Amino acid sequence: MKDFVKLEGITKIYKMGEVEIRAVDGIDFAINKGEFVIIVGPSGAGKTTVLNILGGMDTATGGKITVDGADITSCNSRQLTSYRRNDIGFVFQFYNLVPNLTALENVELALQICKDPLDAREVLEEVGLGGRLDNFPAQLSGGEQQRVSIARALAKNPKLLLCDEPTGALDYNTGKSILKLLQDMCRERGMTVIVITHNSALAPMADRLIRIKNGKVSGMEQNSSPVSIDEIEW
Amino acid sequence: MSRKALRKDFYMEIRRSLGRFLSIFFIVAIGVAFFSGIRSAEPDMRLSGDAYFDRQNLMDIKVVSTLGLTADDLKALEKVDGIQKVEAGYSTDALCSVNDSKKVVHISSLLPSMNELTVEEGRLPETADECIVDVDFLTGSGYAVGDKITFLSGTDDKITDTLKTDTYTIVGTASSPCYISFHRGSSTIGTGTVSGFVSVLEDSFDMDVYTEMYAAVDGAKELTAFTDEYDDHVEKTIDEVEKIRKAREDARYQEIVDEATDKLNDAKKELEDAKNEAADKLNDAKTKLDDGRNQLENAKTEISNGYAQLEDSRNQLIQKQNEVSQGYEDLNAQADVLNGKVEELNQVKAQYEALAASGMTDEQTQYTLQVMYAQITEGDAQIEAARTQIDAARGQLDSGQQQINDAWAQIEQAQSELASGESELASKEQELNDAQAEYDDAKSEADTKIKDGEKKIKDAEKDISKIEHAKWYIYDRSTLTEYTSYGENADRMKAIGEVFPVLFFLVAALISLTTMTRMVEEQRTQIGTLKALGYERHSIAGKYIGYACLATISGSIFGILVGEKILPYIIITAYGIMYQHIDTVLIPYNMYYGMAASLAALACTLIATIFSCFNELREQAAELMRPPTPKQGKRVFMERIPFLWKRLSFIWKATVRNLIRYKKRFFMTVFGIGGCMALLLVGFGLKDSIFDIAVLQYEEIQLYDGNVILEEDASSEEKEETYDKLVSDKRVEETAENFLQQVEVTHGKEKQDVYLNVPRDVNEFSDFVIFKDRVTGERYELDDSGAIISEKTAKMLDAGVGDTVIIKDDVKGELEVKIAKICENYIGHYIYLSEDLYEQLYGEAPEYNSIYYTMKEGKMDELEKVGESILETDGALSVSYTNNMQQQLDDMLGSLDIVLVVLVISAGMLAFVVLYNLNNINITERKRELATLKVLGFFDNEVSAYVYRENMILTVLGSAVGILLGKILHQFVIVTVEIDSAMFGRNIDFSSFVYSFLITMGFSFFVNGVMYFKLKRIDMVESLKSVE
Repeated sequence: MKDFVKLEGITKIYKMGEVEIRAVDGIDFAINKGEFVIIVGPSGAGKTTVLNILGGMDTATGGKITVDGADITSCNSRQLTSYRRNDIGFVFQFYNLVPNLTALENVELALQICKDPLDAREVLEEVGLGGRLDNFPAQLSGGEQQRVSIARALAKNPKLLLCDEPTGALDYNTGKSILKLLQDMCRERGMTVIVITHNSALAPMADRLIRIKNGKVSGMEQNSSPVSIDEIEW
Repeated sequence: MSRKALRKDFYMEIRRSLGRFLSIFFIVAIGVAFFSGIRSAEPDMRLSGDAYFDRQNLMDIKVVSTLGLTADDLKALEKVDGIQKVEAGYSTDALCSVNDSKKVVHISSLLPSMNELTVEEGRLPETADECIVDVDFLTGSGYAVGDKITFLSGTDDKITDTLKTDTYTIVGTASSPCYISFHRGSSTIGTGTVSGFVSVLEDSFDMDVYTEMYAAVDGAKELTAFTDEYDDHVEKTIDEVEKIRKAREDARYQEIVDEATDKLNDAKKELEDAKNEAADKLNDAKTKLDDGRNQLENAKTEISNGYAQLEDSRNQLIQKQNEVSQGYEDLNAQADVLNGKVEELNQVKAQYEALAASGMTDEQTQYTLQVMYAQITEGDAQIEAARTQIDAARGQLDSGQQQINDAWAQIEQAQSELASGESELASKEQELNDAQAEYDDAKSEADTKIKDGEKKIKDAEKDISKIEHAKWYIYDRSTLTEYTSYGENADRMKAIGEVFPVLFFLVAALISLTTMTRMVEEQRTQIGTLKALGYERHSIAGKYIGYACLATISGSIFGILVGEKILPYIIITAYGIMYQHIDTVLIPYNMYYGMAASLAALACTLIATIFSCFNELREQAAELMRPPTPKQGKRVFMERIPFLWKRLSFIWKATVRNLIRYKKRFFMTVFGIGGCMALLLVGFGLKDSIFDIAVLQYEEIQLYDGNVILEEDASSEEKEETYDKLVSDKRVEETAENFLQQVEVTHGKEKQDVYLNVPRDVNEFSDFVIFKDRVTGERYELDDSGAIISEKTAKMLDAGVGDTVIIKDDVKGELEVKIAKICENYIGHYIYLSEDLYEQLYGEAPEYNSIYYTMKEGKMDELEKVGESILETDGALSVSYTNNMQQQLDDMLGSLDIVLVVLVISAGMLAFVVLYNLNNINITERKRELATLKVLGFFDNEVSAYVYRENMILTVLGSAVGILLGKILHQFVIVTVEIDSAMFGRNIDFSSFVYSFLITMGFSFFVNGVMYFKLKRIDMVESLKSVE
C-alpha cells in the first residue's frame, strides 16, 4: 500500500521570546505499509520532533500528515488521543514501563484501552519473555524491559510502530536483538515500523532510510534488499 | 551562596517553583497561625479577663464571718502584710416579685472603690432608698429604671431588720465584675437560686456589723488573674490573713459572749429584783388579805353578836312589852277599880247630893253629910290620887311603850344595819375571795414567770456556752460565681490548643518536610552537576536550606502576625457571649508560642532539607547524574488472597499496588484526610453532644414540662390547694410530688452540690424522670437498696456503684448512703432516694415540696399559663419550665458555634492544603508514568481517573481513620470543655459522620478538580526524556 504514511511540509517552530527555533523545517516523506523505516540523523536534527508529531504526541506548526488516509494534523487533542490509542504503538528509549506493574501487567495496561488487542501473554512469549511474565521491571534487564515495552506496543495491534532510539540505553548485543525483534515483527506481522536512530550503520536493514539534518529531509533511500540485522556490525 | 550564579539560581528557583514555595509558605503559615493563635487564645483570655477585673478593681480576698465583722476586724485586716486596702460591706439575700413569681436577689452595699459596677443605664444610687439593679436581671423582669421594687426577706424575720426600708427606686442598671456570666450563685431563701444582684448605698443597711470585708492585695493587680503567679501571690496573703484569723475570731466570739453574758447578768439581776419585788408584793397582798380576812371574821362575829344582842333586846323588849301590857292590864284593872271607886264615890256623891239636896241638915245628915263629904273628898282625893297614879302609871307605861316601840324601831334599825353589814360582809368576802384568787393567780403567774425567767436564763447560759466560735471564711476570687469557670474556659481553650493546633502543626510540618525532601530529590541531577563542577557541599545545600528557611520563616511570621490576632479575637469574642460583661479584649503577640511554633516549623523543614540534601550529597557526582535506582515493584499482601485479587479489575490492581508503593504519600494523605475528617467530626460532634444534651435531658430523661416549688412556710391546706389545682387543671396530663433539696454530697475529698430528689410514688416517677444506663440503655428502678446518682455527679465525686457517699445535712449531720445505680443525666446533679430510704437516713418522712407536671399533648403552648395560675395559689413559691432551661442552655452554648465554624474552616484548609500538596508531589513524581499513559492513548479523564482512583481510596481510608481519630478527639475535647454542672453527650450523630465525610469528600473532589488541569498540562514529551 502506497503512501500509508505521508508527511507534507511539516514544520515545528518554537518561539523563545524574539527568537524562532525551527526544530522541524518542512519535512516531506511518505512510507508504504509494512515497511521497516529507519530515520537517521545527528542529535538535534529534529527526528524525535517528527516522530512525536507523527505519533500524535505533539502538534505540528504547519504541514499535513495523513496516516492510512486520515489527516491527523487537523485532529483535536481528543482525536489525537484516540489516534495514539488505536493506531500507534510507541517504544521508548527508556522503556517507560510502569515500575509498579509486572511485565504482563505492563502489557495489559495498554490493552485496557484498545479496541482489538492481541493476547498479552502470547505477545510476551513472542518477544521472548514467556518465562518472566510476573517479573517487575526492576527485576528485568534493560533488554528485557525494552522487550516488554515492544510487547506493550505490539499488543495494541497498532497500524504504526514508532521507536525512538530503542537501543539507545542498551548494550550492543541487546540492542541488536531488540532491532532483530522489531525487524521480525515487521516482516512476520507486516507491521509498519519506524525506528529513529543516530546510528547510520543500521541503514542497510531498513526498507526505507530517511536522513534528516537541520530539520529537513536530507535524503531518502529505498532499499529493495534489506539485510538482516545479524549481518550488520558496527 | 556567595556566588552570583548560585544566588541567581536561588531566586530563579523560587520564581520557577512559586507554587511549591507558596505551598510551604502557606502550610507553615496555617500551622503556625493555628498553633500560636489557638495557644495564645488561652493567655489572651486570661489577660482580657484580668484587664477587666483590674479596671473594675475586683477584690482579691473576701472575708466573711459567721458572727459578722466589726470595725476592729477591718483595722486588723488592714494591718496584715500584703493587704493593700480593705473595704467592708453589707449584703443580704431578698425576694422580689417578678412576673408573678418570687425571685431571689442578692442585695449588697456599694463599696467605696472595689468591685466597681459598670453602669449600663441610669446612674448609681445616691440616697438610701435608691438601688441599681443587675442589667441581666432587669431585662425581662418587667421592671424598668425608675420603677419601685419591694423586697421581702423570705424568712421569718422582717426585711427591715437588715434594711432600712423595703422599697427602693431603681435608678439604673449595671453589671458587676463579681458576676461575669449568667449565674448569680445560690441562696438559702426562695428558689435557692439567685437571679440577680442589687446594689444600694451602705446607708440603706441597718445592721450592727459588716457582713463581709473585701481586700486588695499588694501587687496582685500587676499579676494576671487565672495564672499560678496570681493565685500563689494571693494565696500567700491569705496565709497572712490566716494568722490573724484566730485572734479575730476569738475577739469577736468574746465580744459576743461578753455582750451576751452582760445581758444575761442584767437579766439575772432583773429577775432577782423582779423576784423580790414580786415576793414583796405578794407578801403585802397576803398580809392585806389576811387582815381583811381577820376583819371580816371580826365583823362576822360582831354581826352575829349584834344578832344575838338583837335577839336579847328583842326578848327583853318582848318581856318589857309583856310587862307593859301587864302594866296596862293592871292599870286598866286599877282604872276599873278606880272607876268602880269613882262609881262608888259618884254614888256617894249622888247620895251626898241627894242628901245635900234633901236639905236635911240634920246632924246626922250633917254629919253624915260631913262624913260623906269627907268621904267624898277623901274619895276624890283618893281617886284623884289614884287617877294621878294611874295616869302616872299610864304615862309610865306609855313612855315604856314608847320606849319599847323605839326599841323595836332601834332593833329594826339594827336589824337592817346588820343585814346590810352582812351583805357588805358578803361582798367583802367576795372581794376577799377575788383578791385571794387574784393573789393565787398572781402568785402562780409570778412563779411561772420566775421559772420561765430562770429557765430562760439557764437557756441563755446554755446558749452562751453554745455560742459557736466565730468562724472566718477567707476566700479568694474563686468564691465569685463563674469566676473560676472563666479560668476553666481558658484552661479548656488550652486543652483544645494542645490538641488541634498540634494536629495542624504536625500535618504542616510533615507537608513541608515532604515538599522539601521531594524538592531535593527532584533536583538530584542539578546537585550532581554542581558537585561535579566542584561546588562545596554547603554551597549546594545552601540553596535548599535557604529556600526552606525563607519559606518557613516568612510563613511563620505571616502565620504569627495573622494567627495570633485573628484566632484569639474570634475565640474571645465567642466566649464574650457567655461573659458578655467582660468587654476587654487584649490580644498581644505571645512571642513564646509564636517562636515555639516557628522554631518547630523551621526545625522540621530544615532538618528534613539538610537530611535529604546531605543524603544526596553523600553520593558521587556521577552517581547523582544517573537516575536513582528505581524502586522495586512489590507484590502486595492482597495478591496473596487470590479470591480478592482475582476479582479486582486490572486497573484496580494497579491502583492497589500504587497505593502500597508510595507509602509516604499513603500515610501522609491518610493522616491529612484523617485529620480533616477528625476535625470536622469533632466540630459537628461537639455541636451534637452539646446541643443534644438539652434534647436528651428534657426529651429522654427529664420528661416533665414544669416543676412547681411549694412555699416552705405554707400550711398543708395551702399546699393541698396548690396540688389540687394543678391536678384538676385540664391541660395538665400528670403530676408527681417530690421532695427536692439542694444538699452537699461528699465522697472522699470530692464534694458536690447536688439536688436530692425523693419521689413520692416511685412507680409513677418513670413518667417524669427516666433512670437508665447511658451505654447499655438498661432501665433502673429506684428502690430501698441505695441511691441512684447522676452520671456526672458520680464522676465529679469519683464514686462508682457500690461506693458509699455522704450527704451532708445541716441538722442531721453526715448521712451515709450507698450508690445503687448511676443514671444518665446531662444537666445538673441529682441524687435520687426512695421514700423509705430517706426515712431510714433522716429518721423522718420527707416533706414533699415540689410537683413535677407534664402537659397534655397539644397543650404545650399553655405551659406557662398553667404555671401562672398555679402561682396564684398561696402554696406555690415558684414554677420552672424545662423549655426555658433548654432555651437558656442553647443561648449559653451558642458561643461554641463560632468555635465550630473556626474548626470547620480550618479543617477545610487543612484538607485542601494537604491534598493539594500531596497530589502535587504525587503528580510530579509520577509525571513520567502519567505521560506514558498519555502516549499509550489514555484520554485525559482516564489519566485523571488513574490518579483519582488512588486519591479516592486514600480519602475513604483517611476518612475511616478520621472517624476513629475524630471519635477519640471528640471524647477528649468533650471531657475537657465540659462544664461542671453538665455532662455533654458522648455521642456523635450519624448525620455528623455523613456531613463530615461529605465535606471531606467535597474537599477531596475540589482538589482533584484543580489537579485535573495540572494533569492535563503534563507534556507527553516528558516521557521521552531520560529519567531524572
